[in-house]
Formats: sequence, structure tokens, C-alpha cells
Amino acid sequence: MTSSELLALTAVALPALAAVGSAAARRRAVGALAAGGATLSAIAAGALAVATVGRPGTTAESAWLVVDPAAGILVAVIGAVGLASVLVSPSYLSTLTGGLVRASRIPRWYYSLLFAFWAILAAVPVIGNLGGAWLLVEATTAVSALLVGFSGKPRALEAAWKYLILTSLGLGVALLGVVLLAATAGGGLDALSWQALARVPAGGQTVLIAYLLLLAGLAAKIGWAPVHNWLPDAHSEAPAPVSALLSAALLPTVLLVAWRSSRALAPAIGTATVHSVLIGFGLLSLAVAVPFLWRPLPWKRLLAYSSLEHMGVIALGLGFGGPLALAGVVVHIAGHAAAKALGFYAAVPLLSHEPRAGGHAVGGVARTEPALAAAMGISLSALAGLPPSPLFFSEVLIVAGGFAAGRPWTAGASAVLLSLGFLGLAHALLDTLAGRSRHGSERRQSVGLRTVTILTTITVLSLLALTVAAFWLPGSELAHNLAMEPR
Amino acid sequence: MSGALAWFLVALGLGVVVVRRRSLAVALVTGQALVLAVSAHSEPGAAAALAVRALVLGLLLLLVVSRTREPRPVRSGVAPLMRGGFAVILALAFTWLVPTLGLTSRNAERGVLALIAFGLVAVATRTATLFQVLGIVLVENGLALAALQLHNGSSAAIELGVAFDLTLIATVAVVFHERIFAEFGTGDAGALRSLRD
Repeated sequence: MTSSELLALTAVALPALAAVGSAAARRRAVGALAAGGATLSAIAAGALAVATVGRPGTTAESAWLVVDPAAGILVAVIGAVGLASVLVSPSYLSTLTGGLVRASRIPRWYYSLLFAFWAILAAVPVIGNLGGAWLLVEATTAVSALLVGFSGKPRALEAAWKYLILTSLGLGVALLGVVLLAATAGGGLDALSWQALARVPAGGQTVLIAYLLLLAGLAAKIGWAPVHNWLPDAHSEAPAPVSALLSAALLPTVLLVAWRSSRALAPAIGTATVHSVLIGFGLLSLAVAVPFLWRPLPWKRLLAYSSLEHMGVIALGLGFGGPLALAGVVVHIAGHAAAKALGFYAAVPLLSHEPRAGGHAVGGVARTEPALAAAMGISLSALAGLPPSPLFFSEVLIVAGGFAAGRPWTAGASAVLLSLGFLGLAHALLDTLAGRSRHGSERRQSVGLRTVTILTTITVLSLLALTVAAFWLPGSELAHNLAMEPR
Repeated sequence: MSGALAWFLVALGLGVVVVRRRSLAVALVTGQALVLAVSAHSEPGAAAALAVRALVLGLLLLLVVSRTREPRPVRSGVAPLMRGGFAVILALAFTWLVPTLGLTSRNAERGVLALIAFGLVAVATRTATLFQVLGIVLVENGLALAALQLHNGSSAAIELGVAFDLTLIATVAVVFHERIFAEFGTGDAGALRSLRD
């Protein structure tokens, strides 16, 4: 076993151990254990990213394990967001009065589920088999649904129920695609490894149907339009640290499965067909998200619709293909994770400061809580793509990648939709920070503001680093390797 | 797979879409999975996974039915005959739209598509939360049928994976069903309509 394979297994095993440890720990010790487990897990994830991105030409791939730069980047994103979510969680738990479980068991169940979710998520990018990936993605649904409904409030139960039913149905459709691929490829489960799928014979109509079913099913989990209905509800009603994991880590992780499948099956189906399907989902998601970005929405719901927009942007980048667009995708995934996670963490102090923010758009936060406004402002301006946000540069790279790929009309339409999305979010930014409060001012002390302020500083530095990376990445070996056909 | 067996599985599936009693619907999907297990006798691993999954889920769901007695029947907005009609039309549309799935038997292919269509219609038209879970089980039974018709002997692994995941999902769904029942006094998804934009 190579060192990078060992690191990949460690990055999965550590949060899994932390999940077991949190379930078994004494009530007073669970917080410290969670912080320690999260730190070690994040270090392992970061080390994997350094090992894989540092040697982009080297890929360790077997029937069940794949350790490449894409896996390293995703595991690192999951690790960073997981660590931050665990650090914000004590503030969230201090505001929780009841839940799905008895009050005395809340911390143990919460951390145990959170780490289980983290561990399963971290396993998805490194699994080398489509069948295994499907199994893991379905398992994330079970665990994360419990987290979405963890508060036990009626709205949270509704969101969790929708999430569970709709994504399970979607994944059922995806499974039909997997079964058909197994039938076509022949040779048992090993035939579903990414390597073996790349050797599926070309020209078969069954492969195309299987691919379309797979993508349609995964779209329900990624939150691509038109099968995104669960997304705004689950993101807005889940505990804020869980919303961050859902948006910043889960969605791009399932997107990686869609990308790996598309890449592996492109020789059999035709690269143009595969790219067109991804571009279709991307454009539709953007078009559906943009009108909502113009409406006065509750903070977490606004962030949820922004997730729909950004998953659309990433789909476009994957659909355009080529080093330019894929470099944009890498920056976009990391930048979106940093900015979106900060936005959701800011919801913890926001909801304690202004309880009505859970159901209504907020305004004038800069006047009443400047530190909170800074966190919200940085998150929203970065998500809108306001320069020097790395998301501005990644979107430029993706659109330029569209022109480079010979799709000027699609790239042009994407640019128009992105501009409209930017204007909508810019309007929301001004309203949230400097606008008038719409619903009176029942305001209280903010809970967890200190942690969020520290995370704001770290996020700003991360975003600036990503902006620098956006200039270096397009010509790099990493981008060229991502754009290469699988061997 | 014989045509009679495929049509029998489809008939059981259609029953789930139209029947009113939850316990009867649970019995129908459990019976369907057990029939699939018996038909998979040449692959002991797949048969065992299907049988264990069928019995565990059947017992779990019947236990939930007995623990959450509805004060009055949860009425779906769509009449049983209409639901059955929608289900048959969708199944026919799937069979017409999807050319061939590459399974060993065309009867099985039609059965798979019909069960998936019935599952989707059950989720879309039934408002009782337990029926929505049964819709998912129906879809998974269709997929189990597809896996059994593979040429290459990977059925056992797929059945095991599906059994594990379906049991996990159903268990979580049961947790939420009980909680929704406790909160709203009914397992009616129609009560879950506060989140709208």
C-alpha cells in the first residue's frame, strides 16, 4: 500500500473512530473529544491533499480505491468544513432546547452523527467503484437526514422528510443505471470500477440509458434543477453547522461521482453527449436559481438557492471540460466551500441575535451587530463573485473554458445568467447589511459570535489564497491531468 | 423469468398503489420481496439477502403501523381508481420510452419498469407517510428484480448492498414517521406544507 493510499484510509478512519468515540464518551468529555477528533481528521485530510496535489501525475487506482488530486481536493474540503462545523457546534447546541433524542443524549448523538456523516462523505471521493460510491451516497442520506431533522421542530421534520424521500427515490433511479451498467459491462462488481467502466464497449444504447438514469438520479442528490426541491428546505432547516457540510461538502462530493461516471463513460457514449448533459443541468440550475436570488429570502434559504446556482456553475465547468474550465471548477469548489460554510456559521449568532431571521429576510445587521455583518458580508460578496473573490475568477475561467471548447452560445448564456445572479446577490448584500429591518427589532445577544469572527479571518485568508491559486492553476500540470481522458 | 411470475409481481405492486390499509400494503411489498427471494433460489446469496430484508422490513413496518394508529383514515387527494390508472399509464409510458435494458428476459424488463413507475406514483399520490416509504420499497423491489436478471452473477453483491441501504433508509424513515405522528397527531405528509417559496 502506498503512503497516499494509507493517508486516504486514515482520512476516512479517523472521523469514523470519532463517531464511535462520541457515542461512547461521557457527556462532559464529548465536546473535547469531538474537537480533538475533528482536528486529527482535518490534518489527515489536509495531508492527503498535499500528497495528491503535489504530485498530480501520480494516481493510485485499484478496483476499490482511487487516490488522485480530485479525491485529495474533495477530502480536504470535507476535512476543513468538518473541522469548522465541529468548532461552531457548541454554540449551536447551546441554543438547542429539544430534539429528536432526549436532552441528556443530544451532544453524544449529535457529534456521533456528524462524524459518521463526515466519515462516509470522505469515503466517497476515494472509492474506486461506482457501486460502492452509490452505496456510500445512499448512506449519507440516512445519516444526514437525521441531522437535518435533529432539532425535532415541525419545519425541520418536514425538511428532513422531503430530503429523505426525494433523494432516496432519486438514488433508486440512479441504482437502475448502475444495475444496467453492471449488465452491460459484465464480470461482476469489479466491472463497475472507474477503470473498468472506461472500457465499456462503445455504441450501445443501453449504456446511454444507464448513464442518463445515473445522472438523473445523482442530480436529485446534488440538487440540480429540476430535481432540487429538497435543497432549500433541508439547507434552511438543518442545524447551521450541518447546513455548511451539506452545501459545501456533500453537494460537490456527489458531483465528483457524477464527474467520474461521465469521464469513465465518455468513450462509450461520446464526449459531446456527456458534456451536453452536464451543460444542460448546469444551465437549468442557473436559470432556476437566479430569480430566487432576487427575492427577499431568509438568510439560510438565500444561501441554499445560492448553492443551486453554484452547483450549476460547477456542472457547466465540467461540461465545458478542458484545462481552463476544470481549473475554474477546482477553484470554484474550494471557494464556494469556504464562503458558503462561513455564511451558514454566521446563521448561529444571527438566529440568536434576531430570532425572526429563521423565517424572514433580515436587514440592517451592520448597524446592530457589526462583527456579524462582516461575516455575512464577506460570505455573500464572495458567493456573489465580487472581485477579488476567487469565485469571480473561477467563473471567468469557466466561461472562458466554454468559449475555448467551441460553445460560444452556451458560454454567453452562462455569463448573462451569472451576471443576473451577481446583481441579485449584490442587492441582497446591501439589504442585509445596510437596509431597513422589515419586521421590527426584537434583538438579543449573539451566541457564538467570537468563534464566527475567528472563522471570518481564516476564511478571508483562504479566499485570498484561492484567488492567487486561480492565476496559477490554468496552466498547471494539475489542470491538464484533470482534463485528460481516463486510461 | 416466466411471464406469469413477472405479472404476479406487477399485480402485487399495483395493489400497493390502490389499497387503503397500511398493514395490507406492507404485506404486499413483503410478499413481493419473498416471491423474488424464492425465484432467486439458484443464487443462494441473493435469495438470502432478499428474504432477510423482506422479513426485517415487514416486521419493522408492521410494528410501526401498530404503534401509530391513525384516529381517522389518511385520505389521499387522488381516488384509488385514479391512482391505479396513473400507475398503469406511467408504466406503459416507461415501457414505450425505454427501448431495452439488456436484462435476460423482456418480461422482467417490463416488470422492473412497472414497479419503478408504481413506486413513483405511490410516493407522488399517497399522503400517508408510511405509504411514501412503501413507494421507495416498491422501487427497490423493482431494482432487486433487475439485479436478479443480470447475466454475470453480480446479483448477490447488489442485493446485499440494496438490502443494507434500504433497511437503513427505512429505519430512519420510521424514526421520522413516529416523530411526525407525535408532533402532528397523524402520519399525513399533507400536514407538512409550511416550507414554500
